[in-house]
Amino acid sequence: MKDLSITVCGVKFPNPFMLSSSVVSNTAEMIARAFDAGFGGVSFKGIGGPSIEIINPAPRMHSYNIGSKKLVGLQNVEQTTDRPLKDNIQDVKWLKKNYPKNPIMVNIMGFNKEEWKYLALTFEDAGADMLELNFSCPHMSVEGSGMKVGQAFKLVRDFTEIVKKNVKIPVFAKLTSNVTDITEPAMYAKEGGADGITAVNTVRGVIGVNIDNFVPYPNVFGKGAISGYSGPGIKPISLKCIVELAKKKELGLPLAGCGGIETWIDAVEFLLSGASLVQMTTSIVKYGHRLVEDLIEGLSFYMEEKKFNKVEDMVGKALPNYYETKDFDLSRQGAAKFDLDRCIGCGLCYIACQDAGGQCIEWDSEKRRPIPDEEKCYSCMICSFVCPVDNPPLITFKEIKGKKVYTPPPSKL
Amino acid sequence: MIKEGKASKSKKVKYFELDKPYTLSQAIIEADRCLLCYDSPCSQSCPAETDPGRFIKKLRLRNIKGAVKTIKENNILGGICGLVCPVDKLCEEKCLATGIDRAINIGRLQRFLVEYGWDIGFNPIDKKKNKNVNVAVVGSGPAGLTCAGELAKDGFMVTIFEKNEKLGGILRYGIPPYKLNDDFLDREIKDVLDLGVKVKTNYEFNGKGSIENLLKEGYKAIFVSTGLQNPYKLKIPGSDAKNVFTYHDFLWKINSGKVNEILDKVKDKNVLIVGGGSVAMDVAITCKLLNAKTVYCVALESMEDLPSDREDLHKAIDHHVVIKPQSRIKEILTKNKEVIGARGNEIKLLKKGDFSPSNIKDISGTEFSFKVDMIIFAIGSGVDPKIKEYLPNIKFDDKGYIKVNKDTYETSVKGIFAGGEIVTGPSLVVNAVRDGKKAAKSIINFLNKQL
Repeated sequence: MKDLSITVCGVKFPNPFMLSSSVVSNTAEMIARAFDAGFGGVSFKGIGGPSIEIINPAPRMHSYNIGSKKLVGLQNVEQTTDRPLKDNIQDVKWLKKNYPKNPIMVNIMGFNKEEWKYLALTFEDAGADMLELNFSCPHMSVEGSGMKVGQAFKLVRDFTEIVKKNVKIPVFAKLTSNVTDITEPAMYAKEGGADGITAVNTVRGVIGVNIDNFVPYPNVFGKGAISGYSGPGIKPISLKCIVELAKKKELGLPLAGCGGIETWIDAVEFLLSGASLVQMTTSIVKYGHRLVEDLIEGLSFYMEEKKFNKVEDMVGKALPNYYETKDFDLSRQGAAKFDLDRCIGCGLCYIACQDAGGQCIEWDSEKRRPIPDEEKCYSCMICSFVCPVDNPPLITFKEIKGKKVYTPPPSKL
Repeated sequence: MIKEGKASKSKKVKYFELDKPYTLSQAIIEADRCLLCYDSPCSQSCPAETDPGRFIKKLRLRNIKGAVKTIKENNILGGICGLVCPVDKLCEEKCLATGIDRAINIGRLQRFLVEYGWDIGFNPIDKKKNKNVNVAVVGSGPAGLTCAGELAKDGFMVTIFEKNEKLGGILRYGIPPYKLNDDFLDREIKDVLDLGVKVKTNYEFNGKGSIENLLKEGYKAIFVSTGLQNPYKLKIPGSDAKNVFTYHDFLWKINSGKVNEILDKVKDKNVLIVGGGSVAMDVAITCKLLNAKTVYCVALESMEDLPSDREDLHKAIDHHVVIKPQSRIKEILTKNKEVIGARGNEIKLLKKGDFSPSNIKDISGTEFSFKVDMIIFAIGSGVDPKIKEYLPNIKFDDKGYIKVNKDTYETSVKGIFAGGEIVTGPSLVVNAVRDGKKAAKSIINFLNKQL
């Protein structure tokens, strides 16, 4: 087994896998079991200041299923911790005593500068290794907190600054993706002195509406709300945010990736795209702590295969391959290639190409086989996405040297 | 990263093909159906302590190497077990997905993962430092191979003594090649041999005490796993005729490249098999694959009590094997010492469940006869009498099996351990694997105390 440890802002994590600040990091007992199972660190469930009331909307979550796939996404209207401050302090102290090798990042959310200062000092005192400033909860019932701060960039700077002025431990700013450009608030956080960025919190969303009673999910006694959406469904958004932050040279801060991480492959993608730590919640809701065994084993086997000695050696490895679309070499063309010996004759590629593609596949109804025309193919590749024959895929993209871009003829109207 | 594996195919015998293996995507779809239950009832029901709940979760989370590791570290013959184990009586019977739809195809997933590991060249088995202590394993069936593998993993110098040309015992010679073929078996045996296990094949023990004497020849412990080599035949008129086989001789020929010798006797001929267990079904299906005309299985048990594994029985029925339950053969009809038919009766038992001859009564008016050209007995096997000669100081039980301490697998002679069918009587491959594992643990304990 490889050494998976990584040091971020001087804090050594036994591995990059963390519980994110959420239902999964609510108590010391839960966190202790997660550490026992193999998690490296935790972002302790968001703790509000005295002016933020403890509330519990019921029910507070709903699952987004697609076909037979359950929990593709998770919608929640949960807010900060449902426990009193003194209990959380005691938990952090206990964890530090009993799990000294597992870093504790405490996620805090103040309402004003005094509160931010108070919470920061309180948890530095309790032994937290790091702080994570919650500028990103997408559904706070208190105006001027959570995501609303993350969208008012100057407040990001000011609140980070007051915390940084008062504590010595590293401070991460946890940002929201519900902004036009996440690097903007990140730069303000840096200006305030942040040592790192966590990206991202849940995405504002609505997973659905009950079509009988017209109430969106989760139905809190007849009322729904646009609120936080998480899980594999948001991975493309959270990964994008990590890439944008990692590519922002002026920022240059370590990153914790969060949003839709389920397998070691997801985690590796975040690491390669610039994250040094990865945090998760929805996948733990789905699989429990036992999934970390596979993150650890999978990452370790991958590092052996790719000859990475340290996790930090792979951080950002994919970044040079992220370009702007204007940089593409448009002189090179290709087409979808079909391995028709393995075709089962379902015709799904034909439907896709006719109704959503370039109409470059004809159908031989005698033989039940597609007849692709490489000349006309504009390489959207949607035929390969619907083809059920896999491993290796029956339809693949192949370059055709010298092929010219095909322009469809005028419509025959 | 994640590569597609190749299916292992038997090209040697055209009559026999293994069931198609899963492709990676099929395996992932099947793993996605798994409920991943909290306490995995499937994992609690394997004699060899296979943990499907864990390896399926690993596959589900794309930790495929980890899944292979989970199987192979626990059972070095995990691929073979995936192919031959009657999973519907064990792990799959306990699968809670049956409460929603149908059981997860655990055996097939297990086979897929082991083959996947071979195909990508991934060997998850670690070996400790060599200890320079010799241990002898006598017999290379599933118990012997497992025990040898476990001992070698712990650093012991293991030598397997095998009387046949090739390793595998019942796995090689007693299982029809449509269930387990040479290619697959050799790939898995290689995993054992790669641990540095030495092999003496075509090895004949000779004379009184010749196995026990290994203790004087530098071996610090012996594991005896010779299996059952004395197949039964009914003593009825005609049973010494030509074309009367035991399952053992029949499968031996099939599995040692002598299919052609059997083919003429079976092709377009009628065959009668005596017995209703899985081996009887194996033999019946094999005859059908060799293009026999009509194949009968005559068994003492009622249809619902047939000892055969359900999957084997259903496969036999799918091949149009004619099952004649609650019946017995009383005479083999011959002409010039050649089999021309068999005569029998339907029976009833005086006491339920007791198949001893004195308890079986013919039902009058149910006499039947079949016109057949070949008879194969598949009614079990006993201990080779020579074993007692090779092991003169070992105690045997009333049934002729070696007596061992149930926890430690120690025989009545210090340093000699035994497991597999020579201890348990007729049993499953997975139980032999269990014996091999547990005996190895006990042998390691025994030897560590002496070191």
